[in-house]
Amino acid sequence: MEDLSRRDVMKLGAAATVATALGVGESLASQPATPAFFTTEEFAMLDELSEMIVPADDHSPGARGAKVAAYIDARLAEAFEEKDKVIWREGLAHIERLSRDMSGKSFAQSSAAERLATLTRIARNERAPKEPEELFFVELKRRVVDAYYSSEIGIKQELEYKGNTYLAEFVGVDVSAE
Amino acid sequence: MNFIRLLQGTPQPDVDLTRTYDAIVIGSGAAGGMAAHVLTSQGMKVLMLEAGKKLVVDKELKSMEWPYDHPRRGAMPPGHHALSLNEYTIRQPPYAEGLKYTNVYSYVQGWNGADYSKNIVVNEKEHPYTGTNYAWVRARGLGGKTNIWGRLALRLSDYDFKAKSHDGYGEDWPISYADIAPYYDRVDQYLGISGVKENLPFLPDSIFQRPTRLAAAEVTLRNSLKRMNRVLTPYRAGVTTDGLKHNKYRSRCFGRGACNRRVGGCDIHAAFDSPTGLIYPAQDTGNLTLRTNSIAREILVDGNTGKARGVTFVDAENGRAYEARGKVIVLAASTLESARLMLLSKSSAHPNGVGNSSNHVGHNFCEHVMGPGITGLVKERVGKEKTIDDGRPGGFYIPRFRNISDKNPTFIRAYGFEGSSGSHMFPNHVHSTPGFGAAYKKTVRDNQGAYISMGGFGEVLPRYENYVDLDPATTDRWGVPVLRFHYKFGDNEKKMCEDMAAAAQEMFELAGFEIVKVEREMLTEGWSIHELGTARMGTDPKTSVLNQFQQSHDVKNLFVVDGSSHVSASCQNPTWTIMALAWRSCDYLVSEFKKGNL
Repeated sequence: MEDLSRRDVMKLGAAATVATALGVGESLASQPATPAFFTTEEFAMLDELSEMIVPADDHSPGARGAKVAAYIDARLAEAFEEKDKVIWREGLAHIERLSRDMSGKSFAQSSAAERLATLTRIARNERAPKEPEELFFVELKRRVVDAYYSSEIGIKQELEYKGNTYLAEFVGVDVSAE
Repeated sequence: MNFIRLLQGTPQPDVDLTRTYDAIVIGSGAAGGMAAHVLTSQGMKVLMLEAGKKLVVDKELKSMEWPYDHPRRGAMPPGHHALSLNEYTIRQPPYAEGLKYTNVYSYVQGWNGADYSKNIVVNEKEHPYTGTNYAWVRARGLGGKTNIWGRLALRLSDYDFKAKSHDGYGEDWPISYADIAPYYDRVDQYLGISGVKENLPFLPDSIFQRPTRLAAAEVTLRNSLKRMNRVLTPYRAGVTTDGLKHNKYRSRCFGRGACNRRVGGCDIHAAFDSPTGLIYPAQDTGNLTLRTNSIAREILVDGNTGKARGVTFVDAENGRAYEARGKVIVLAASTLESARLMLLSKSSAHPNGVGNSSNHVGHNFCEHVMGPGITGLVKERVGKEKTIDDGRPGGFYIPRFRNISDKNPTFIRAYGFEGSSGSHMFPNHVHSTPGFGAAYKKTVRDNQGAYISMGGFGEVLPRYENYVDLDPATTDRWGVPVLRFHYKFGDNEKKMCEDMAAAAQEMFELAGFEIVKVEREMLTEGWSIHELGTARMGTDPKTSVLNQFQQSHDVKNLFVVDGSSHVSASCQNPTWTIMALAWRSCDYLVSEFKKGNL
C-alpha cells in the first residue's frame, strides 16, 4: 500500500463513495480494481450509464452484468486515435456538468430519476445530434451496445442466438420440392 | 473434430528456374486455380506464380470463435484501419496516403470479424493506385479472393452472351450459352454447388447439391413475388453441401454460418476456395510447381517469333528479380492486375503492352453497381421464439426481371437482389433501434429475427472510356508502376439504381413488410468486387484482345483466363463463369499444345 500515490488513494476513496451512492457495491467489486483508461470516477459513471442504456430485466442481465464498461475501458486504453480518448474524457465531463446544471448534484450523487433526466436530455436528438453532449450520446450508445450484444450474455441469454453450431441439416423451409 | 481436414497439400518442390515449363500460370485465384487443374490433369508441367503468401487459412479464420473469446470481439488491433464509405467519397486514391495507421485496408475489413481476414487482403499502404474513386478490394495470397468470396455462384445465359443482339448496345460475346454449358456442368460437379432448380431462361440451373432452406419471411416474399411473375430462390452457393468424394481437402457444409458472420472464408472448405478445390489436387498430380511470394513483373516476348517465352517476377520477401521460362503463359492475376501486367510488358514487338495491338487492354472496364436496397420489418415475426436462421452459406437471390420480354424506358440491362432475413449473431437493429433503457432492450429482443433486407447488383455497361492505365509517377512497394483509374458510373447505371430502389420498395410492400429503410444511393465504384472486361474477348482483333478461347489475338501462346476476358458484366456474379470459361479455354489450350500449335 505504501506505493500508492496520492491520486490512487483519492481514486479508491472516490470509488467507494460512488459505489455506495449507486448501490452497486458488489457489481463494481467485480470490475478491475484500477481501470486502464478511465479514472475510477469516470469508470463508475460509465458503468452506471451503460446499465441505464441496457438494463438488467427479468430476461437477462444488463450491461453491468456483461462487463461492458471494462470492455470499453480496455479498448480506449489501447486506442490508436488520440481523439477517441478525448471524446470520452470530454463526453463524460459534459454529462457531469449537465448533471450539476440540472439537479445541482454530481452524476454519482444524483438520484436515479435525476440520472435518467440527464441521460434523456443528451439522448433527445439521437437521429440528428448537433450539440456536443448529443453527439457523445450516439458514441456512448454505440460502444455500449456493441460491447453488450457481442458479449456471451448479449448473444446467448438476451438475444437467444442459437447458431454457430454444426448442423446436419439446414433449418427452415425446403422449397426444392415445390 | 475428425471431419475437419487439416491436410494442406503436398509440400511444394523447389522451383527449378533453369527449366522451361509447359505453362506458367500467373495467379492462383478462381481462374489460375482452374487453369492449374485443367492443364496438370492432362499432363502438362505447370509453374504457378502467386504474388502473395501461402497462408494456412484454417488457422487464420477460426470460424467458430465467439466474439467474446476474442480480445477485441473480432476487430483488428489498434493501428489497423479499414477505409470507410466516407473516406472513399471525400478522399482520392491513393486512399492510404497520408494516413498515420500502420495498416490500411479496403472497406471489407470494416465488417465484423475483420481480424481473421486481415492477412488475406492487401495493406493499401503497400499497394497504392491513383486516379478516380474506386473501392478496389484485393487479396494477395494463395487462392486470392476465393479465400473470402461471397459464394453466390450463378450462370450467365444468352440474355448476357447475346445482349447486343437483344438491345443493340456493346458487343456480343464470341460464345453462346451452348458453348459454355458443358463446362458449367463440369464446374458444378467438380466443385459442388447448392441451389434449387427454377427453370429460368435468364438464370440457367446448375447441377445442384442439397439446397439451403428459406426463413419464414423469405417464403412469404417468394410466394408474394409469384404474383408479380418474379422469383426468389435460395442462395445458389458455390459450396458443397453433400461433400465431394473426389476431393480429400474439402468437407461438406455443416451450416455453421461462419461465412456470413465474417468477411468470408470457410475453414472446413465446404465453400469453394481455389487452394483446396483446385490447387492442392493439382499438386497431387505431380505436375504442378508452386512458387508463392512471386510478383509477376513482365511477360517476356521472344524478339524473333513475337511469342511469349517467360515471366520475370520479383520475390516479395527478398526483393530480387527472377525469370521463369514457359512454352505457354496463362495470365490469371485478376481483371485489373492482368491488365496491369499486360500494359507493363512493353517490347519492340508490343510497344503498347503485350497483346495490346487493339489498344483495348484496360478498357471496357465494367462491373456491378451496388447501393440501392431495402430493410423491412416482418410484424408476424416480432416477439416469436428464436430460430437458427443464419446457419447456411447465404439467404436468397432474386434474379433479374427487367428487360427480358419488356423494354424499360429509362435503362438497358438488369439487376438482381441478394438478401436474407432472420436471426443473426449480432443483428444490425442493435444500432438502428432508437432510444435506451428497458424499452430499447425489449424492442431489440422482440425484433431479433424479424427483419428482412436485400440489396441490388446491377450490370454496369462496358464503355471504352472507362479504363485503367499505368501511372507513370507512382509505384508500389516493389517498385512496380501502379494502375491509374479513369472510371465513372454513367447515366444507365444511375437510372437503373433509381429503379432498383423503387422495385425493392414495391416488392416489400406487396409482401406486407413494414418498410424500415430504403437505400437509394449508389456506393463507390468497385464496391461489388466484380471488376471485369479489361481484356475482352471478341472476333475482331481490332476491337478485342482475346478470341473465344481467351487466347491473345496477337500472341498465340498467351491466354488470359480471368474476368478481364468478359465482354459484358451481366448482373449475375462472375466467379462460376470465370471458372467455366477457364476450363473451356484450357481444354483448347491443351489440345493445341499437344498438336504443337502453340
